[in-house]
Amino acid sequence: MAGGAGAVSVGERAVAEAAAKVSEMLERVFATAQETGEQAARLLVRARARDRRLSSRDLTELQPLLRRQLARHIGLISGTGFVASPGLLADVPAWMEWWQTRVGGGVQPMLLDLDPATSAYSDYTHWDWYALPRDTGERAVSGPYVDYLCSDEYSLTLAVPVRLDGVFSGVAAADVYLRHFEAAAGPALAGIPGPAYLVNPRGRVAASNTPAHLAGSLVRDLDAASARGELLLHPCGEIPLVLVTEP
Amino acid sequence: MNRLSSAARRAVFAPLDTEAKVEAVARRLGDAIVLGLLADGEQLPGESELAALLGISTVTLREALMALRQQGLVATRRGRGGGTFVCAPADTLHDRLSQRLNAQTAEELRDLGDYYASIAGGIAGLAAERADRQDLDAPHRSLQDFAAAEDAATRARIDGRFHVEIAAAAQSARLTREEIRLQTEIGPLLCLPFMDAEVHRIANEQHRALLEAIAAGDAVRARSLAEDHVHDQVRHLIERRMEGAKAWPVEQVR
Repeated sequence: MAGGAGAVSVGERAVAEAAAKVSEMLERVFATAQETGEQAARLLVRARARDRRLSSRDLTELQPLLRRQLARHIGLISGTGFVASPGLLADVPAWMEWWQTRVGGGVQPMLLDLDPATSAYSDYTHWDWYALPRDTGERAVSGPYVDYLCSDEYSLTLAVPVRLDGVFSGVAAADVYLRHFEAAAGPALAGIPGPAYLVNPRGRVAASNTPAHLAGSLVRDLDAASARGELLLHPCGEIPLVLVTEP
Repeated sequence: MNRLSSAARRAVFAPLDTEAKVEAVARRLGDAIVLGLLADGEQLPGESELAALLGISTVTLREALMALRQQGLVATRRGRGGGTFVCAPADTLHDRLSQRLNAQTAEELRDLGDYYASIAGGIAGLAAERADRQDLDAPHRSLQDFAAAEDAATRARIDGRFHVEIAAAAQSARLTREEIRLQTEIGPLLCLPFMDAEVHRIANEQHRALLEAIAAGDAVRARSLAEDHVHDQVRHLIERRMEGAKAWPVEQVR
């Protein structure tokens, strides 16, 4: 590594700045999902306290918050909302209270056919953004992946579990289109002198400063390459993305 | 130089794809009615709500509904309790889809197949390079659901999902969108061959082999299997199209 003991090279500083930038940006997205999750839980707990069965109508009060979130994070967050676990609500088999940006500007609610009798895509419980928070109890970054359920865009989805009385009841999440992520993270990556790219825990590249590792490609055997000293892995705060550089 | 009349100007500068949109909307809703996804007697959402759902203007929606009324697939009742209602067609799914198939020439179907095969081949090759094991969980589930599907409409639906999931595993949003678009064009027609248990069995084998090649990272083999699969499917459609044509000219001559 360049730089003696105590000295910090230009490259090292650029790496630290890029990791901090990614962490700060995605923490903002997680904070948004967290805010949604907390309000969804409040609404549902209140409805349940009125001693009645939960209904999709109990979630309509989320809408002003979701619209505000999209307005506040233009160019970063393109979809936001709460996804109920199937069976939570009495009036529908499954439900997504979800808002997204419109192609020409403005926002719209997403209305999906979640009836298993008519839609081949009605079961959303297999998607990482649902399954990871459910199975680990922790927040999760899913993707990059092609979101053919909601937006048909290449996306990251950041999701947090929502619990009612300690029971997993769904996830609150926010979508970041990969092109927006790249636009935001790109300048910081470009400041790093050598090849540098961000990968998710499965080794999928999310953003990069080198054509050798473009977004969407897989870096296989990352840990082995790191153990051999061929690659350096830098954490991005608490965000489960790793910044990879070459020594 | 002659100035265009104002009406003619409006026509010239009208959004180019309005006509295509009317047709696309009428076909989407018509397919849903023919396939039984919208039940007989079901009331459609109000015009403004439906237009917003579909992302089209109410004018475009009205034209599409008019086309559906002419085909007898919806009826509109005025006044209290009025609205637009689904009229399930009296003739069978088989007849409706055959009509739809027979509206295209064998040459058009062949060309559609060529285009779809190159898209599907490209998708399969990229998926073999880029998919990891977890990316293939979804198509693996669809593989099993497809094998277990008993009626033609379910088979066609799961078949479509399987191919969309592979497109997503290729990590390309554009190719996924194109796959979805092709599915809406060709998917309902595939109900016809999928009525045949043998066609279903062979498609299932082809899906399995394709998924194995992708999982093995064998891009060349995945591409060729995907192309063969599409060509087989389209060949089934062309065969049915040509069988349909044999009965037809006699009627025409009389």
